[in-house]
Amino acid sequence: MINRTLKLFVAAALLACGFTTQALAESQGCVAVKTTAEIEKEVVNDKGEKSKVLVPAGKVIPGTEVVWTVTAANSCKQASEHLTINNPVPEHMTLVPNSAFGPGSDVTYSVDGKTFAAADKLTVQENGATRPARAEELKFVRWELRNSLQPGASAFGRFRAVLN
Amino acid sequence: MRSPRLLVAAGLFSLFGLWDHAYAVGVAAGTSIDNTAQVTYSVGTVSTTATSNTTSVTVAEILDVVVTLQTPSVPVYAGLPLQEMVYRVSNTGNGPETFRLQMTSTLGGDDFDPIAAVPSIYFDSDASGDLSPGDLPYAAGVNDPVLNADAFVTVLVVNAIPAGVVDGNRGFTRLLADARTGTGAPGTTYAGQGAGGTDAVVGTTGADGEATGEYLVSGVTVNAVKTQAVADQFGGTRPIPGARINYTIVVSATGTGTASASVFNDDIPANTTYVPGTLRLNSVALSDGADADAGDFSTTPAARVRVQLGNLTQASGSQTIQFAVTIN
Repeated sequence: MINRTLKLFVAAALLACGFTTQALAESQGCVAVKTTAEIEKEVVNDKGEKSKVLVPAGKVIPGTEVVWTVTAANSCKQASEHLTINNPVPEHMTLVPNSAFGPGSDVTYSVDGKTFAAADKLTVQENGATRPARAEELKFVRWELRNSLQPGASAFGRFRAVLN
Repeated sequence: MRSPRLLVAAGLFSLFGLWDHAYAVGVAAGTSIDNTAQVTYSVGTVSTTATSNTTSVTVAEILDVVVTLQTPSVPVYAGLPLQEMVYRVSNTGNGPETFRLQMTSTLGGDDFDPIAAVPSIYFDSDASGDLSPGDLPYAAGVNDPVLNADAFVTVLVVNAIPAGVVDGNRGFTRLLADARTGTGAPGTTYAGQGAGGTDAVVGTTGADGEATGEYLVSGVTVNAVKTQAVADQFGGTRPIPGARINYTIVVSATGTGTASASVFNDDIPANTTYVPGTLRLNSVALSDGADADAGDFSTTPAARVRVQLGNLTQASGSQTIQFAVTIN
């Protein structure tokens, strides 16, 4: 515990000295975040029953729906609070409406990366008028965990986007 | 008295409305789609941010091609030695691709087989829209067209029309194009053979395309019948200096085809002078200037009247042109 406190102190000092938050994160390393890209593939079992499985997406053609998953894992002995995952919709991709979800998370979207809200609450300015944002204009997804992330636990968020 | 000349430009068809809009779909093959997430959280009172790995997927190449006919039914006559059919080959995939071209003129469903010229496929190198000396012949495997995504090339298929065909006969000719990387059922994958080493995937067209054009044997004859009426200044009909000659020319097309972009030209007879403002088409006055209306009067290189009659068919009926001159 003393060691931990010391580490935090050092990290805070480094931040004060102008080090990046990334350096701070590495120095703490409590929550590791990882993204994966997968596509749905239809498989048929011995009985001829069809089902869909996710397989890693390597090379995809335009029009393909890619399932993006972000996993945040707490490797520390303390709980992490106020955990928020931010993921921009990758360039050249269009968000599938209402596709983002995450267990125990509140999902919001953003057009500009600043204002986050439910998809139907977001607006854009066009020709001096305000109108609801369209799915292809939602460029950011945010998951806010309602509860703390306990030691050893993981949280994940997922969304789907189609390659333009 | 000179006889009127009628210039019939057969085979010149307006291409308006025929351009096929075939757009490539999607992000360029080989593009890397990257994703990085960030997480912020607090431990105790310290808030911190962590950045994920970057996950990338690579855009595979779609193999798609569309062949479109650029000329409607082409009017021909028996024994015509060379007649081109204009096609466009478009790469509707998302990466650069080489295409192989083939043509055939032995097809069912028509009345005669056009005779493929040798060579029978040309690129419209000078973008003239017809076969001209600057056009490069196509040789399979030698100058297969390489098209970027969304690019197209205009291709001419050239045939001769056999002797012995008759009015109303139709003959088909076809151009085929396929992707050199491969063809097949949509979704067929050629691993690592796409642009920049990505996979190539056959698109909805099967990576091949074809279009069939039609030659139509058209006998169209355009006739012009010219009559004149002399009115002298003394109320008589004597052709004396100062007398006026009113000309009436009736133009009509007969047969099955279309006389495209027909133009009526008539030189003003020697020793006479055109009476300004007397040019008429079907009783409607045409101004003498070369402007929006169909007619004009010009003095160079020689004095003449001209009326654009457009596309004439038998159904168009008679076109009546009138003008007047005075005897010098």
